[in-house]
Amino acid sequence: MKNKANQITLIYTLFALFLAIISFKLAKQYSTYLDCYNFSFIKDIFFITVTGILFRYILSKNDKRNTEINKNLRQTNDKLKESNEKYDIVAKATSDTIWDWKIPEDHITWNKGIKGIFGYSQDQVGKNSKWWFDNIHPEDSIKMSIKLYSFLEQKTEKWQDQYRFKCADNSYKYVLDRGFILKDENGKAIRMIGAIQDITKQKEEENRLKLLETVFTEAKDSIIITQAVSSDNQIPTIVFANPAFSKMSGYEHSEIIGKSPNFFMGENSDLQEIEKLTDCIKNKKECFLEIILYKKDQSEYWVRLSFIPVYNLDQNISHWISIQRDITEEKKLEKEKEILIRELTQNNKDLKQFSYITSHNLRAPLSNLTGLLNLIDDFTIEDEELKEILTGFKLSTHLLNETINDLARVITIKDSPSIQNEELQIQTIFKNILNQLHIQLEKIKPKLNIDYGNVTKINTNKAYFESIFINLLNNSLKYRSKNRDLTIDITILEKNNTITIHFKDNGIGIALERHNNKVFGLYQRFHNYPNSKGLGLFLVKSQIETMGGTISIQSEVEKGTEFTLTFKSH
Amino acid sequence: MLELIMCVDDDPISLMLFKKVVNKALFANEIINATNGEEAIILFNTINNTTNLKKPQLIFLDLNMPLMSGWEFLDLFNASNFFNLNNTKVIILTSTIDPEDIKKSKSYSNVIEFLSKPITIEMLDYLKSKI
Repeated sequence: MKNKANQITLIYTLFALFLAIISFKLAKQYSTYLDCYNFSFIKDIFFITVTGILFRYILSKNDKRNTEINKNLRQTNDKLKESNEKYDIVAKATSDTIWDWKIPEDHITWNKGIKGIFGYSQDQVGKNSKWWFDNIHPEDSIKMSIKLYSFLEQKTEKWQDQYRFKCADNSYKYVLDRGFILKDENGKAIRMIGAIQDITKQKEEENRLKLLETVFTEAKDSIIITQAVSSDNQIPTIVFANPAFSKMSGYEHSEIIGKSPNFFMGENSDLQEIEKLTDCIKNKKECFLEIILYKKDQSEYWVRLSFIPVYNLDQNISHWISIQRDITEEKKLEKEKEILIRELTQNNKDLKQFSYITSHNLRAPLSNLTGLLNLIDDFTIEDEELKEILTGFKLSTHLLNETINDLARVITIKDSPSIQNEELQIQTIFKNILNQLHIQLEKIKPKLNIDYGNVTKINTNKAYFESIFINLLNNSLKYRSKNRDLTIDITILEKNNTITIHFKDNGIGIALERHNNKVFGLYQRFHNYPNSKGLGLFLVKSQIETMGGTISIQSEVEKGTEFTLTFKSH
Repeated sequence: MLELIMCVDDDPISLMLFKKVVNKALFANEIINATNGEEAIILFNTINNTTNLKKPQLIFLDLNMPLMSGWEFLDLFNASNFFNLNNTKVIILTSTIDPEDIKKSKSYSNVIEFLSKPITIEMLDYLKSKI
């Protein structure tokens, strides 16, 4: 263009010079014939006209070419713009962050994604590969760079890797980075372009699923998943089984898949339980059962299993999940326990029978003795010595009879755990009790204080209640101190559905530290008193415990004894 | 006063005692006895087969006896209409305390009382008022 302009200018200058010289020569030669002024004027007109035409030609030609160039330029520009837009849209649509690395210069440019996804503003983004590498999680960094450089060395065309990339807020995102390489004519890598995809969500989901999977693989309980339905009348076939199931059943994983759980059942598997399970599957209901299964070596084992339907999004059953636990040991213990209980019950029954027989055999001659002694009363005996002998004989027989009767009562209490209760007026019961002890009370005349507190009624067994307090009162009378008048305080109080009765005397007391555990025991006697059988407190404790109550004791030698009894109000 | 009663007991002292107390209490004119259930059945058989013999109005029955216990006797006695023509009432007189026995005695409609040995004049007076 420049050359052409010079060319045209040169041609034009030469032509103008030539014309000027010609017209000068002509003017000089023919000056005589020619009017000098007219000639000059005509010459100028001619020159101007020719120049004008020439100019027009050149200008119009130039103009035409310029318009064409301009048009081309605009088209190119539009194309560029469109392609740029497309690129941005694609980047946006894929949420990819695109980077462009000019390797020899070590210069990287990033697209808008670096802000949109990782939160870096333009001035935070580094211009070289160091910035990129620095933001990769330390745990991933070495592995990633090794892979990347080995890729660059091998000069294959494509590369991809997963790593954690640091965001502007210092958190990390899992990314999938894919890139390809551009080479010069010598095959040297000069440029690499890549797209980073944020896969944090997928990765988290993957980790979650992996964690969930460990439940399946690591569980000590057997887990199997079966199909939703079965074509034959069997339990649907197994599609998954965890290692625990393999271990429990003794079958390899491959031997289990495709089998129906029926496969593991055998002749001792309870048919009713199997039917229960098939019914549940038919009715799409969850099921729990205990059944005998067979291992590969045909040995039996007990499992407790659940069979639970799994629904898909359309609310149709897609699978069944069954969790099974080996309860063979449990079953064995249960069976042993059952046998033990049966044996104990039988022993207990035998012992009870034995005690009834013994007591009968003791009572039979004893009742004869008592009956015969009753007859003696009608005779007048003159011989004093014989009278003395008979009196002793009678006393001993009565004592023996009482002991046997008390023992019999103990057996009867132990034998009837459920007793009849009735609602009784507490004042009436105590009146009754005192009436029964009338003779002894008249003889000793103790100071007796009964404080009924807030209690008017008690729901209890009359016979037991009376027996308990007759025993306690008898003890107080029997073991009173010779040094002071006997005082008995009975305090009754109801609180929180429990009636508490404190029974306190100022008698000779019991050396508890010596007898602590034996106070309520059978045949325990703590005083060298005649007529003491060592049965009273044992009987009291048996009776109160049969009614669901408790009894405790506090005592000090030569100070007195206090019993605390509790009864249920209802 | 009853005309004739029967006492079934294997213990001779018990029988002796029973006789003495019955006499003292003026409870019955005559007492016949058997020492076990089987003997009692044979005795009843004789009574039934002999026209002139009186039938006992009341039986005092012990439970624990050799050969045939009180329960076995009751079952046999009640099962046969022949032995039970006059619907004789039975009183169990025993030294057992097994509550099962007391419960069992209630299942026999002709057992009217369950008494613990020894027999006393008071008991017989009470029975007099009951019959």
